[in-house]
Amino acid sequence: MFKVNKRRLKPYIYLFPVISILLFVFTLGLGNSIMQSLGYRPGIGLYEVTLDYYREVFRSGGFLSGLLFSFRVSLISSLLAAVIGVGIAYLLVMQKKEWPVLQALLKLPIIVPHLVAAFLIFTIFSQSGFLARLSVLLGFIETSREFPPMIFDTRGIGVILAYLWKGTPFIFLIVYQLLRTIETEMVEAASNLGAGGKELFFRIFLPLSLPGVFSAFIILFAFSFGSYEIPFLLGPTVPRALPVLAYVEYINPDWTNRPYAMAINMVLAGVSVLLVWMYHWAFSRYQQFRKGH
Amino acid sequence: MKRGLSRILLITLSLSFILPMMMVLIWSATVSWPFPEIFPRGFGLRGFQEIFRPGSPALYSLLTSIRISIIATLLTLGITLPGGKALGIYEFPGKSFIKIFVLAPLIISPVAIGMGVHGTFIRMGLTNTELGVVLIHIVPGIPYGIRIFTNIFELVGEDLEEQGKVLGAGSVQTFMHITLPTVIPGIISAGSMIFIISFSQYFLTFLIGGGSVQTFPLLMVPYIQSGDRLMAASYSVVFIIVALMVLLAIEKTLRLYYRKQSGIAGVFYSRKKVRS
Repeated sequence: MFKVNKRRLKPYIYLFPVISILLFVFTLGLGNSIMQSLGYRPGIGLYEVTLDYYREVFRSGGFLSGLLFSFRVSLISSLLAAVIGVGIAYLLVMQKKEWPVLQALLKLPIIVPHLVAAFLIFTIFSQSGFLARLSVLLGFIETSREFPPMIFDTRGIGVILAYLWKGTPFIFLIVYQLLRTIETEMVEAASNLGAGGKELFFRIFLPLSLPGVFSAFIILFAFSFGSYEIPFLLGPTVPRALPVLAYVEYINPDWTNRPYAMAINMVLAGVSVLLVWMYHWAFSRYQQFRKGH
Repeated sequence: MKRGLSRILLITLSLSFILPMMMVLIWSATVSWPFPEIFPRGFGLRGFQEIFRPGSPALYSLLTSIRISIIATLLTLGITLPGGKALGIYEFPGKSFIKIFVLAPLIISPVAIGMGVHGTFIRMGLTNTELGVVLIHIVPGIPYGIRIFTNIFELVGEDLEEQGKVLGAGSVQTFMHITLPTVIPGIISAGSMIFIISFSQYFLTFLIGGGSVQTFPLLMVPYIQSGDRLMAASYSVVFIIVALMVLLAIEKTLRLYYRKQSGIAGVFYSRKKVRS
């Protein structure tokens, strides 16, 4: 009797440490943020719950343009990373040799921190960067000012490039591992039946790797949507990416500004929860898909 | 597509991701490289001398960074290994929910998480301390640890441990001689990933550490911001080399241990390989 109970409890005991840390972070952390964003701050004698802060945040131009900026930059960089990552993985699988050196070099950006990625993009694309120097050499421009601004620019080109540089190898790694497990017999059978490169790609490789690509895309999107470093170093001041905007509001010496920061954080988290849901949906589809094979 | 064309395309695409890293390497070894010159004016190691000069804050912060990240990695492995085992082997109510919940740090913005717990950390006296920074560094590593260990335990199952128990091994013996050796590959890959995530951390460190805990990335940022490319590049190169060295050290030590212990686990893995 006791043994049965112990056995049942076992997984919960194993999960206890990790779940309690996550619960601590998410209930206390996000709970606090929700209360503060609603203006409930017993610490400084504010007990009234109100949606005014959200209303004001949504009304302010800085927030909306920041939301749009973050969304656009994340979407474009993750989509491009997915397309290029899949492309490189497919091209590599189609080679006769495995190209281990190339593979190892392609994995290197994964261990390079985002700060360095930002710096790297800066050295190449800034108005005094390598491309600008090359343009001078080739006679396209004469001064650095004539080089189109791609860093700190309102379109966020530098931010997109930095995320793209970090994200593509991540997608490549996931897709390449997936593609390699596809039985060569399947590919050979298809080519014996007369399938060309195009058919192989669209009928075999793409459907088999799509679920993996999708969950990797969600991870990349969520990461670039919510992280601070790259837009802080390469992004414009107007519009500010949401995470940067939230931090600026947070460190504002005026304490009454705190609820705005928290309201922005709740939007950041809200979009992310939507993503978790999509991720779960993609993952369960992926499992069904694998079972079907 | 013709073979030659696909090869050229592959090389071009790959190089556009690999070559940018050369820029950092070149900048770190220049003496001066003014605009609009296409080649540096000379080469030297001033940046590295500055970082490795005795008593430099960079050297000190590098040690702080390594210490924080190794402790955070060990703690994260310690909690995700049993967690992954539970998710990989057992069926229990609430499992599918927990499987999504543990991925949350991967998805929810570290900015929202950091500012959310900041107040609580202040009240608990954890801000401006290394302990606080270590604790917050655990959070982003959790999803990677859980995913990797879940996959490993799904593959390994519980049979070997049960056999050990039947033969009279205690819990500690079972863990040391059966569980640990079988999951060594998982510990290497999860440990490397978690270490890198913690070692690269900037926002959470400066929010919770409040500037009193100076990690290597924290010292690097002002150079990037002010456009001091020589120093920023030198910091970047040191960062990447140290990260690679720590990863290599982790792998080598664990592989050594694995080989010593691989009696039973080695047999298991070779059998799996043959079958698949």
